This record gives sequence, structure tokens and C-alpha cells, in this order.
Amino acid sequence: MKDFMLIFTGTHYSDLGLSPDEMQQRLGNWWGWQQKMKEKGILKGGNALQQGVRRIKGEGMVVTDHTSTALKEIIGGYFLVSVADLEAATEVAKDYPDYDLGGTVEVRQIQIYEH
Amino acid sequence: MNTDPKGRQKLIDHLFRHQSGKMVASLVRVFGLSNLELIEDAVQDTFIKAIASWQIQMPDNPEGWLMRASKNRAIDLLRSGKIKSEHLNNIPHGTFVDSLDQMFSQEEIEDSQLRMIFTACHPSLSIKEQIAFALKTVTGFGDREISAALLTKVETVKKRLSRARKIIQEKNIRFDIPAQAELNKRLGIVNNVLYLIFNEGYHSSSKTDLIRRDLCLEAVRLCQIILKNEKMRNGETYALYSIFCFLSAKIPSKISNADKLVDLKNQDRKKWNPELIMMGNMALGKAMDSDVVSNYHLEAAILGEHLNAPSFEETNWENILEYYETMFRSDNSALLLLNIAFVLTQMNLIGKAKKTLAAIHSKELENRIYLYYGLSAELHYAEGNIEEAVEYIDLCLSAVSNTYEKEYLLNKRNIFTASLN
Repeated sequence: MKDFMLIFTGTHYSDLGLSPDEMQQRLGNWWGWQQKMKEKGILKGGNALQQGVRRIKGEGMVVTDHTSTALKEIIGGYFLVSVADLEAATEVAKDYPDYDLGGTVEVRQIQIYEH
Repeated sequence: MNTDPKGRQKLIDHLFRHQSGKMVASLVRVFGLSNLELIEDAVQDTFIKAIASWQIQMPDNPEGWLMRASKNRAIDLLRSGKIKSEHLNNIPHGTFVDSLDQMFSQEEIEDSQLRMIFTACHPSLSIKEQIAFALKTVTGFGDREISAALLTKVETVKKRLSRARKIIQEKNIRFDIPAQAELNKRLGIVNNVLYLIFNEGYHSSSKTDLIRRDLCLEAVRLCQIILKNEKMRNGETYALYSIFCFLSAKIPSKISNADKLVDLKNQDRKKWNPELIMMGNMALGKAMDSDVVSNYHLEAAILGEHLNAPSFEETNWENILEYYETMFRSDNSALLLLNIAFVLTQMNLIGKAKKTLAAIHSKELENRIYLYYGLSAELHYAEGNIEEAVEYIDLCLSAVSNTYEKEYLLNKRNIFTASLN
């Protein structure tokens, strides 16, 4: 088994003008996906990230605060899954519920250093 | 944790939509209608926050979580200085929090929702604006959902909503329940709006047309809010509720398993919902306690005859005819005459039915003209004038756009032409 991080990028929900019912449906889809991963025993963890983005950049360590409206795409959260290989991780990522909203999932294998 | 038997996290259906109506109404009660847009944004934001923190785990009491969150939003809003109100900004924090707690009690939330219903039904708004505004603000529909439910363009919905908001601001409409003298008149508008919302949903004819069917449920829910209030409810509202129950009871049999439209005669009555029929009967009973007999009463009584009849043939057409004739005293519309002609046909009074039909200015029926053609076809068929019957069926076919209805008519046409040979 290898560990992968699935990183979600997309527009923030608040900019999409979703109705309350649509938001509830979205939430249900996320729970459905999680449930599926839990049943397979592959979900190791994950978190949603809040909207505010503070970036510290360059030699001068310049600190900038961004809002989701200023940035076109922000990382909304991540899941950590344990599966056989990259193909299996890709299959899991295909259940991400927000592709129709223009969302992206980045699949990254966790680097393990041999000692 | 809220879980279903399989251990899955689950929310009550439409919790967000219904909470949205409650939250907007309660916050408007606190801050006034002049801050409506600010409040709608704040409520939207509360749901976004809820999603973010619930994606991993749902709280034990989601409804309480949302209400607490909107109270906190109210405090934020007050501090933000964006609220348009002089006196509110001077209220001591403690007093504000106390009155806020009171506003978010079950009883006060319902009172706020009633005020919002009456705001939506203010006579300064046109009927279309009233419906759009009620769906948006009272029931928590989004613009796209309203447009899908009313089969209207999103742009049109947006225009209606912004016009409604503008009128409310310009006329400085108060967030109030009208005083007794005005109340009955306004209740009449409220009933009419609910009736139209329900019918809009009821006439959708596809099993998959869920959003339109939701309109029926919302109309029922709003009607219940009014009936819960002793000072508010009257015979007409009970009659309206009875109509909603009876019509809802029939929904499962309106479309067959083969996804075809089924007429009253051929509906499987075993599919009718007995609980809803019972509720309809009870509401009709309560409606009859009042002195006034409105057209809602008569319509409910007619539906009651249909829904309580063991079969189409055993329907008490005499009673139904009497109700329709009573209705005719205050409403001599072409549609009513058409209904009377239909009942006469069922009573086998073909001559009388034809006479009634002849009195109809068919143009007045507008988009219901197909019903006139359909009945004319039936009458000609009953008299053995098969060729005329087929002609009318063809007219009818050219006047309907719905695929279910088309199929139904083609089937009928086949039966007619078969008897020609």
C-alpha cells in the first residue's frame, strides 16, 4: 500500500451563487464519497481548508492576505488515502463531487525516504 | 451524530432550504427589510461555512448549529456598521443579545415567517413578483430553481425579484402582519399565491420533474404555517389545505409505471394516498365550520367527491354538478362551463352537455383549449359521429405540447378510428 494525497482546487462555493438546496446536495455528495472510502478502509485522514489565504513570499518574506475572490482558484482541502498504486488513487479521485463546478483534483504520492 | 441505519451521515431533506427561509425571516425581523440583501448574503455565507466545517463531520444538531451561526452573524452584522438603522447601533450589546435570543425561539421564528409571507403578498407587488419573491425569500429557492419550477428564464426571475425588492424599499413596506381590518383582504392574496404555487407544481407531468413537484410541498408547508396560527386561520385556508391534500393524494397515480399520463377515469385508485385523503376530509370538515363558502370550499368539496368515490363510475356526479353550479353564480368562466359539460357527459346527459359546450367562447380557454377539443371529441364519439370525433381529436393533438398528453390522445384516436371500420 502507498499513501497519496488528493488535493482539491477550484472556485470557492461562495462565488457560485448556489441555492441552499444545491449546497445541501453538495454536502451530501461529499459525505457519500467519504463513506465509500471509509467502507473500503482506504481513508487515512483529511481536512477542509478555510477561505482566507495568507502568502509569505520571497527573500523579503512579504506577507499578503488574499480572499477567494481575488484568487481564481484556491486549495479547498485534501484527503489522505492508502491504496495500491497511482491508478487506484486516480480511481478514488474520480469520485470527487465537484468536477461539474470546474474543480480539479491533484493526486500526489507521499514521498517516503529510506533510511 | 445524525446517522441513518447504515451509519451514513444524513440531513433531513431540504433542511438548508427550509432553514434559509427561517434565518432570513428572523434576521429581517431584527434588522428590518431595508437590510434584506445584506441579510441574504449573510445567510448564504452561513451555509458556506456550514459546508466547510461539516464536510468531515456533521454536528449533533445541525438545525441548532445553523441558528446559532445566524445569531452570531447578526452580532457580526451589527458590529460591521453596514446595517442601515440609526437606533439599532445605539442599543447596548447585552440588550441586543437578549432580544436576539428571543427572536430565535420557535414561536417567534414562525411569527417572522408569517410576516415574510405577508410581505411577499403585499398588494404593491404584481402576482408574478409575489410568487417569485415568496419562493426566494420564504421558501429558500435559488434563482435557477425558481426559473426551472416556473418554466421561466432566469433573467426574468431576476428582474421580478429585483423589482419586488425595489418596490419594498421604495414604498417602505413594513415587516408586519396587517391589522384585523386589512388582514382578511391580505389573507385572500396569500391564499391565491399559495394556490398558484401549488398548481404550478401540480401540472408538471413528468416523474423526473422533481423541482416542480417541490412547489406543491412548499405550498403545503406555507399553508401549515398559517393554519398553526389561531388568529390567522380561516375557513378558506382550511379549504385550500384540503384541496392540496386531495390533489397530493392523487399524484402517485397521475403517471403510470410506463411513464404515461393517466386520466381520472383510468387512474389506479389503490395508489391514492389514504392518509392524505383523510387529512383532506378533516380539513374540509373544518372549512365547513365557517360561515363563508368560498370557491376554495367548492373545489375542495368536488375533489372530496372524487377522492372518496370507490370508482370513477360510482362518483356522485349529481353532487359535483351542484357544486359547480354554485360556483357558476360567482364565476362564469369558460373553464367552469367546460367542467360542467364534462360532468353532464359523465351523467350521460349528452344533449345538455352539448348545449353547455356550445355556450363556451372557446377562445377564452386560451392554453386549455385542448380540453374543449377533447370533450367535443368524446361527445361526438358518444353520439356515433366518429368522423367528427376524429377531427376534434386532431385539433386537440395540435393544441397540446406535452408528450404524455400526445401519446394519450393518439391512443384515443386509434380507438376511434378502429370503430370506423
